[in-house]
Amino acid sequence: MKRLSRRTLLKGALGAAVGLPLLEAMMPSASAEGFPKRFLVFFTGLGTVRADWEPVGTESSFTLGKVLSPLAPYQDKLLVLSGIDMESAYHGPGDPHQQGIAQALTATELQEGDLFPYACNPSKFVGWGGGMSIDQMIAIAVGQSTRFPSLELGVQVQLSNVSSRISYAGPGLPVPPEDDPWKVADRLFSELSTDPTLLAARRKKRHRVLDLVKDDYDALTKKLGAGDRQRLESHLDAVSEIERRLDAPGGVLGGSCVIPDLGSPIDIYANDLYPAIGKLQLDLLAMALACDLTRVGSVQWTTVQTGKIFSWLGHTTPHHTLSHSGDTDTVSQGQLADIGHWHAEQLAYLCGKLDAIPEGGGSMLDNTVILWCTDISAGNTHARRDMPYVLVGGAGGALSTGRYLQYSGAYHNDLLVSLAQAMDVDIGSFGNPAYCTGPLSGLTG
Amino acid sequence: MRRIGVPTTVLLVACLLGACTGHIGGGTEAGGEAKDALCAVLEPGESPLRRMTRAEYDATVRDLLGDDTRPGQALVVEEEALGFDNQATSLTVTQLLAEQLMKAAEEVAERATEDLPGLLGCDPITTDDEACFEAFLPSFGRRAFRRPLTDAERSRFEDLYAWGKAEFDVRTGVELVLETMLQSPAFLYRVELGGAAPVERDVVPLGGYELASRLSYLFWGSMPDDALLDAAEHGQLGTPAELEAQARRLLADARAREAVARFHVLWLGLSHIEELSKDAAVYPEYDDALRPLWKEEATRFLDHVVFDGTGTVAEMMTASYSFMNADLAAFYGVSDGPAGSAFEQVTLPANERAGLLTLPAVLATYAKQNQSSPVHRGKFVRERLLCQTLQPPPNNIKIEAPEVDPNATTREQFAEHSENPACAGCHLQMDPIGFGLEAYDALGRYRETDHGLPVDASGEITGTVDIDGPFDGAPELAERLGRSAEVRQCVATQWFRFGYGRVEKEADACSMKTVQEAFAASGYDVRELLVALTQTPAFRYRHAIVPEPSRDPDQAPKPSPRDE
Repeated sequence: MKRLSRRTLLKGALGAAVGLPLLEAMMPSASAEGFPKRFLVFFTGLGTVRADWEPVGTESSFTLGKVLSPLAPYQDKLLVLSGIDMESAYHGPGDPHQQGIAQALTATELQEGDLFPYACNPSKFVGWGGGMSIDQMIAIAVGQSTRFPSLELGVQVQLSNVSSRISYAGPGLPVPPEDDPWKVADRLFSELSTDPTLLAARRKKRHRVLDLVKDDYDALTKKLGAGDRQRLESHLDAVSEIERRLDAPGGVLGGSCVIPDLGSPIDIYANDLYPAIGKLQLDLLAMALACDLTRVGSVQWTTVQTGKIFSWLGHTTPHHTLSHSGDTDTVSQGQLADIGHWHAEQLAYLCGKLDAIPEGGGSMLDNTVILWCTDISAGNTHARRDMPYVLVGGAGGALSTGRYLQYSGAYHNDLLVSLAQAMDVDIGSFGNPAYCTGPLSGLTG
Repeated sequence: MRRIGVPTTVLLVACLLGACTGHIGGGTEAGGEAKDALCAVLEPGESPLRRMTRAEYDATVRDLLGDDTRPGQALVVEEEALGFDNQATSLTVTQLLAEQLMKAAEEVAERATEDLPGLLGCDPITTDDEACFEAFLPSFGRRAFRRPLTDAERSRFEDLYAWGKAEFDVRTGVELVLETMLQSPAFLYRVELGGAAPVERDVVPLGGYELASRLSYLFWGSMPDDALLDAAEHGQLGTPAELEAQARRLLADARAREAVARFHVLWLGLSHIEELSKDAAVYPEYDDALRPLWKEEATRFLDHVVFDGTGTVAEMMTASYSFMNADLAAFYGVSDGPAGSAFEQVTLPANERAGLLTLPAVLATYAKQNQSSPVHRGKFVRERLLCQTLQPPPNNIKIEAPEVDPNATTREQFAEHSENPACAGCHLQMDPIGFGLEAYDALGRYRETDHGLPVDASGEITGTVDIDGPFDGAPELAERLGRSAEVRQCVATQWFRFGYGRVEKEADACSMKTVQEAFAASGYDVRELLVALTQTPAFRYRHAIVPEPSRDPDQAPKPSPRDE
């Protein structure tokens, strides 16, 4: 069944169905060294304050600015990248935020459609993202042996529209994040704490039920027209994936793998609990890696038109409103930089968790690569050029870290190709090939 | 793109505004094309496969099994489109959702089988369990799948029951059958394959059971009752008159109020009201506990108009009464109002309050944390009430929000929008409408001063078919909206989208016209609009399905080794 699923997914990634030989060629070769690579996405919306984000210095000797300073303890594991454009996000339908978020990881135009009005007084409508996102592409290759191919977590994402989705299983197939840490914990760890006999019985029943359910979807898809058929096929693929992984190793408790105690449930959408919810999600993400329940994940911090008020930083104005402030409005720009700094602290917290898990001569962080990305470079221009990218971790030595690299008009498609290659996923192009020249030069040192 | 039934003048205005939706089959009063011409060819439009929403899942499980735990709330939130959560093409299933559906089915099945004799109608422990199960299966299956089980399905479920019983126990056998049904496409989707031979070209009538589900989900947001299933079985849903009779029956049932309330919340954009927050420094009287009260007031008010009042757009827009309990009365500053926690009808000053436009739920939603927002309120009127859309701002302009000036009214602070030519094109469509609602603060309270200065609630509406011109205050605007052909058409359009789970297209001109004519004939009574939604080609027919070729044989699912 896994071939079926991957094939459907890949239709999106490569624009057409591809055969198995190419698929197998994309799979990373089995490595004997024993420590898997992991890929994480850390998404925050609304860009940054350039002057406070930009490091000062040279490629190998630089000082982090106000925004990135919390990452200083990991400076030798960083790649700070400037001058990379989301060129594809100047093409196709959608308003700047829609293009920015939906193309951050897909690097191709959104679908035409009548689903979502443009922001600020729309006369036009747009559909979903138009291609598979890089995290899902990597998950196909590296996520086959774990309980979950990938894990999508949200922090007060809440909304369900094209401006609130970063991951896509294929064109028009958004992958929603889970906002509720308690549901995440249940999904990840309930089996670990279940009696093995009960677990075996549950698996046996689920196999039986899901087999029948699959037959139902399979029989019905044959009777449907194109659009309905595609949606039902994705449902069938989802059921097949669940069934295929029923017997996958569900992690082994012990060592760094410990079921986290989340405490009593709190209101996951209360504005002022954003930091608390975020911390829980980062704890869960780190633990999902530590237990090897997945090797690909993302954490999405709210949406791109968020009314989030960073009250714990003393703010009273919503982030989105602040992001529209002019460069000369030093108070608002200062608060925006505070928001960037605070998010960098959260990323540093995640790095700390992964860096505390020893693997070989290094840490889990060394075998991971985290991509920090956003939808626009600055809120008051909505530009999608010169994006503020940060990578942490070297993907097991595939990337040469501890550097600040200044590009000039490079495509973000190329960055995504490089990340896939760092994860041993052998692709030469990603997203719309018109904005892709191959891997980004200089990352591997 | 050819527009249908819209007079040229309207078209011009519409295109100046960039409006490109909301006028299909329009113009009941402004000289639209005759229905006969639009309906010369039987054209049902698109019929995308519809998946249950979380609200529909909850209601269906409640009606099927008496389970009112709302298990759908554990599922991922629907992907919204056009403000609605039930648009067929945007509801896809990911692995996360499929997992949640599996767990929800397991939990529902576990609860349902706690009382086996109650569920089955016989006691499988003390009587012949196979006979008991076989008696239960066809009737339950018909309700779960909203059509009779096929012979093949029956024997599969009997096999599954026998397997569960042999491997585990009787209860597990029943549980597994329920789990399978609740995850099947026949339960989660409204499968519509069409009922008979084409009547024109490739247009086929829907089958009786398919229509039964269309009716029940339109009016109840839930599964058909036995009377509907029986009508389907006896072929009594084939004529417009039969559909109308059922529609009126369903509309008279209490379950219709729930479905209509759901529409109102989505239409007015109130789904996220519980997450609003207001600046305590500016509004010390604000309390989070107000939010559910505002929402309840809004749904009660509209429920009353539709089910207990005239049902008309005019009453919806202009009524000067509302519903409140003691806490809300205190918020309104109503003396001699309700004293307890129960909601009661209260008459409000007609110069202060008028219909849905002045509901605090609406005014507070379309406002900022620390001040009213003429922009958002104007946008609300344009988009939700007039179904218009506006030009987006130019790409990459530098947008600087006005600073809050404590010595100026909100209105004065937004003046730059009309003075700066870069903003004016867009904002002149919104701000002047919103200025007319300046007599309400960000909590929706009536006010005569703003920052200590007198409120100027004069506004102007432009670019409409029939209500252009200056006005003073919400009641005057509401009165105009209440008699606007464009608003009436918009209400029909929004109901079309919600009721049919899709956006209207050119092919729907006849269906839309059918609905609008019935709506007009009733004096714009929403109840008649709802009945009329069952009388259209879009509701009764579909295009025959042309199945796609199969996936490559080597990709086809293989039988699992566990299917022994």
